[in-house]
Amino acid sequence: MASEWVSSFPGFKSVQSLGKKAYAGVLRTGPVPRHIGFIMDGNRRYARRRNIELKEGHNAGFESMARTLETCYDCGVECATVFAFSVENFNRSAYEVEWLMELFKHKFSQIVEHGDMCEQYGIRVRVLGDIELLPNDVIKVLRRAEQITEKNTRAVLNVCFAYTARHDIRHSIQQTISQVVKGELDSTEISEQTLESNLYTGGLPPLELLIRTSGVHRLSDFLLWECHTSTCDIEIVDTLWPEFGVKDICWILLKWSFNRMYGRKLQGVEARDDLKGE
Amino acid sequence: MVESSPVVSPVVSPVVNGAAAYDWKGSAGVLERYGSILKMAIAPRNSKLAEDPTYWQIFSFYVCHSVLVVLYLLLFCYRLYNFSANKLKLRFLNLTYNPSRSPSLIRNDVGKLAKIPRQIAAILNCRAEEEENGGVDGLLNDSSELAAWCVSSGIPNLAIYERTGTMKHHIPELRRAVFRKLTAYFGTGNVPSYSIRVPHLNLTFYGASDEYEKSNSKPAIEISLLSLEDGRNTIVEMTRVMAELAKTGELDEKKVTLKFIDDELKQLVGAEPDLIVMFQPYIDLQGFPPWHIRLSEMYWEPDNDDVTYAVYLRSLQKFSTCKVNVGK
Repeated sequence: MASEWVSSFPGFKSVQSLGKKAYAGVLRTGPVPRHIGFIMDGNRRYARRRNIELKEGHNAGFESMARTLETCYDCGVECATVFAFSVENFNRSAYEVEWLMELFKHKFSQIVEHGDMCEQYGIRVRVLGDIELLPNDVIKVLRRAEQITEKNTRAVLNVCFAYTARHDIRHSIQQTISQVVKGELDSTEISEQTLESNLYTGGLPPLELLIRTSGVHRLSDFLLWECHTSTCDIEIVDTLWPEFGVKDICWILLKWSFNRMYGRKLQGVEARDDLKGE
Repeated sequence: MVESSPVVSPVVSPVVNGAAAYDWKGSAGVLERYGSILKMAIAPRNSKLAEDPTYWQIFSFYVCHSVLVVLYLLLFCYRLYNFSANKLKLRFLNLTYNPSRSPSLIRNDVGKLAKIPRQIAAILNCRAEEEENGGVDGLLNDSSELAAWCVSSGIPNLAIYERTGTMKHHIPELRRAVFRKLTAYFGTGNVPSYSIRVPHLNLTFYGASDEYEKSNSKPAIEISLLSLEDGRNTIVEMTRVMAELAKTGELDEKKVTLKFIDDELKQLVGAEPDLIVMFQPYIDLQGFPPWHIRLSEMYWEPDNDDVTYAVYLRSLQKFSTCKVNVGK
């Protein structure tokens, strides 16, 4: 590949990181999404295509996530939510589930111990989902990561474990009902906002961009409540997640910024306003 | 901002060091004052800069922003090219695929596909009255056309989502429009049976007018009309009812399971569509019921804003090739 000899050039790394910083600086002067969601699809297909082991695929996916998030936070994104493990993923082969759990544990303990990215950007890690379904040792590591980064305020990283949007909505409904039963809330006061604040993402900035990789045109039970309005743009790209690079996220952010600045909405403009209100 | 500037105060304070010192301090204060006014005038609004930016910050903001504007310009050129290419492609497709009101042609097209959805949802947009195919009449025309395509391709359930819900106020017109369209497609003798459902009001209408008795057999197509109120609002209403029941002890909150909610919402809104076709230039769910979009395949044609057979058929073709594997 032609890019390989370029990247072996002396000083390439520093030029590259300078370029990234400059680009982020440029993007920051326009509108930037406050909250981005990622469906990181395609790790296994990537592994199959490259004839490497499944876990290598997942590993590559993690690398890609770190890269992408770094760019996002550089550009001024306040909050990112990534779909790490769905409730439905427990249906995968026991071997793979076990391996994924190992990976999470490993990567999270890295965050806990080194915490370079979290420290540099002041990222607070939060775990969303029904984590009681996970093995005990994994829960312990996750909780610890949450505790350690608790005081960081600059940006938030939500990691969805044992999450599905339907579980989330059910959880929110249950919470609301028990609030009413306890007498903290009158049933006539229940509104969209009540349910919204009881969601796992309650209290965070509204989701403004959802990115799905590997060309699948489905939401796969991720952030359904948050992404179905006109205020959230959905971006579907054909690249597999491990191949999703800084270039792709830069392109998507620029497009988003352009759309917000000049409005691609032909009929949707009115829709936007009254969806925001109420 | 000007008032709070600390340098302004020495001007008013009693003169201690004589006239020269006063002058010097005073002119500095005035300069400072002009400086802060100037800063206020040139500082960018709605930016993420600090409350009181330095000149360097303001300068670099403008440099960066002008680079961004250049990028926008390039992107705009790209979009212009992209837009024309998409439009050209759409025009070509619309010429190639034309059902010419013949169900057999549609059956032919759809028959080749490996699988078709059982439940399809379409997102339509109400256009301005003065536009071509605009207003309520345009919507009625598009919906009835869609119904005819679905009947011809053997899809028994069609949900039509239109954000504002205008069509819910024009049920008699819709019944007649669908009847007319189906007559045009299938001939006067054998118009397929159909029903129109408004889940929000829990109403169902059979055939073109109430003279048609409800037959025992299932209609060939069930059209349900959805709008914004069937989305979040319905979930809120449902929660309210559940909360009241739970308060009086008629419902145990532990019983509110996924299955329970799913069954309720199926009753209140309808089944989860297998395919959502958006007849609009970009992906935008416009508040489509959030519970129901879990595994639906979404389809839209970039820069398209018409309801055409080509888009419909291509959505079915896309659907037939995709594989849903829950979690695996």
